Amino acid sequence: MKVEIEVNNSTDPKAQFVTWTPSPCRIRVTDPTGAAASTVNLRISATAAATGGEVVFRSGTSGAFSATLTLQVPTSGSTVPFFAAGRFGRASTRNGDATVQARMRTTSVGSSDVMVRIRKNANILTNDERDRFVAAFAQLNNQGAGRFSDFRLMHTDESSPQAHFAAAFLPWHRAYLLDLERELQAIDPSVALPYWRFDQPAPKLFSRDFFGVSDSLGTVQFSAGNPLRFWTTDGVQGINRRPFFNTSTGRPGVRTEAQTLALGGAGNLYRLFRNIEGNPHGTAHTSFGGSISSIGTAARDPLFFLLHCNVDRLWAKWQRQFGRSNPAQASAYDSNPANPVGHNLQDSMWPWNGIVGGDRPSTAPGGALAASPAVSAPGAQPRVQDCVDYQGSVSASGRLGFDYDDVPFA
Amino acid sequence: MATKRKAAKRPAAGRKAKRPATRHAISLATSSGQDAASRISALAEMPITGASEANLRAVLAVVNNTSEPIAVRLAALQTLQTASFSSAAFPAFRGNYIAALRALTQDPDRELRQRVLGFLAREKDGFAQKKLLDGLRDPAKALVPPEKALQLLSYDVHAEAYPIARAIVSKPPNPTARREALRLLAADAKAAPMFEKLLRDKDEAREIRQISAAALQATKPETLRKHAREIVLDPSEQDEIQATCLTALTQFGNTEVVAGDTALMKRIERLRGGKASNNVKRSARQFLTKYGR
Repeated sequence: MKVEIEVNNSTDPKAQFVTWTPSPCRIRVTDPTGAAASTVNLRISATAAATGGEVVFRSGTSGAFSATLTLQVPTSGSTVPFFAAGRFGRASTRNGDATVQARMRTTSVGSSDVMVRIRKNANILTNDERDRFVAAFAQLNNQGAGRFSDFRLMHTDESSPQAHFAAAFLPWHRAYLLDLERELQAIDPSVALPYWRFDQPAPKLFSRDFFGVSDSLGTVQFSAGNPLRFWTTDGVQGINRRPFFNTSTGRPGVRTEAQTLALGGAGNLYRLFRNIEGNPHGTAHTSFGGSISSIGTAARDPLFFLLHCNVDRLWAKWQRQFGRSNPAQASAYDSNPANPVGHNLQDSMWPWNGIVGGDRPSTAPGGALAASPAVSAPGAQPRVQDCVDYQGSVSASGRLGFDYDDVPFA
Repeated sequence: MATKRKAAKRPAAGRKAKRPATRHAISLATSSGQDAASRISALAEMPITGASEANLRAVLAVVNNTSEPIAVRLAALQTLQTASFSSAAFPAFRGNYIAALRALTQDPDRELRQRVLGFLAREKDGFAQKKLLDGLRDPAKALVPPEKALQLLSYDVHAEAYPIARAIVSKPPNPTARREALRLLAADAKAAPMFEKLLRDKDEAREIRQISAAALQATKPETLRKHAREIVLDPSEQDEIQATCLTALTQFGNTEVVAGDTALMKRIERLRGGKASNNVKRSARQFLTKYGR
């Protein structure tokens, strides 16, 4: 007998990725040879390497996860649904390092290699994870001739009011990061965007093998084997980044994580938490001289995306800690008629909506937001509200397909 | 409708709540009677997203005041730059800010001057670009060292800077200025023959050869691939240059052409297991992994 296991309800190899958030899966008998009845009991479990990802299961949309799950599966070929998720704290380090397996009694009847793909602290990536990420980023940019140039053009002085100064600062950047991450995953599906935890020293990130070491002038130096050595944006070779703190031992003078999570005040209100846009976000940008310290040039430096990934992680952590994932709750967002266009929950977001002129910028680079083989949200033209509940805790179909190493499923 | 009206009142309440904190921070930050550390701390903690244009003007006054301690002025400058990322009042303030920064290019403090010129250069400010070019042509007018001027001009590369960059490559005031001039010229397709020569010159500094490889990759990728192949096949080449060329072939090479190059494959397999440096071995491993060897 043989069965087929579909992770994220798909057999596409690029969909065999899970996070802490439950992924819908299904199983069906593809070859009933040897089955004596119209249904068979199959035991679902997962194997993992010592440092690999670990997967857990449950049969429905609620309830506890467990290491194994027994399902009664018809031999007719009809599918039976179940859910899989990464066990919190046990992320993968490489593609397919965990295997979901179906057994009939003791015999394996089918399996699927999966990855628990999680956004991690850049400072703790394995060398292999680091090298794959850097290679994918360098290829996306392709010396300024690649798809990355669209991302450069999305974050400019002209487009700044779409992304800054108001309530959608966090959702807009969440969509921006997701778009970039999906493009990186189209190059190497094992890559997840890491974050720069700017309230802690990150010497491994600021090394010649990763995002480089700045000399006294602010020109970033890379090792010979680092493809970021070929980084070019807007026709300019290299990266200018002059830190105002010691990147080996120190950190910028930003709010700590605890201070940031307290920004929402006693009521834990989004409209107060949004002050994250100043310190730590703006302060982290301006803790350097160089490209990253001005809006129009910030995205020339790949560090920009790791900085924002940490801002997004802090929002995710705040959402989790205070139950602020439901955009319909007034405390979880700050919609009001006084907001500029693009900053209310129902508003579509530039540039993915393609709208130009009037209150929007004059061009909309990049087209629609990249699709994912694993999830359907937030769609090609996301609205602000599509980027709030990233784990789909209110509506499962709204999950965006990423999680952070230190933020569990709500 | 009722919900909308209720929501519309919230920002006003929010602003009221923020005002005292901002006022207090502004008061502390702008008070010369306070110690520098407290003022710097107040500037860092200022709730900048809710700052008004008047608040930003008050902070700018601190930057402009040459009698203030330089550490406080630099912190005030950082606060304003942070506001450019996060304050709704900033767009209206922007014109004043740029005008003030232009005036500050003549500030007696070199660090402040350099930061101000950096902000302006990233804004592609013609005034700052002219000052930087003037300083390169006539060192008596230089506001920053030549290598910094070249680096800042590279934010908005245009042909006007090329002649002076070429002159600096020929007769550099120091090695870093030469490096930055080459980096600036990397966008100039006409400079490709010079970069070919530099890449193949074994007596040239390693960093200059690596910049040349990246410049060729950006402007003439096929030319780089040809040289990269020859460099990898050359046993007398420097390890670091071989590693750089291997990286280019791995990440940006024409996969079909490279995969069919038997001599190259054999050589890289030897490099992986030979006596080469760790950098070369690592690059060779990455190359062979990509090509399934």
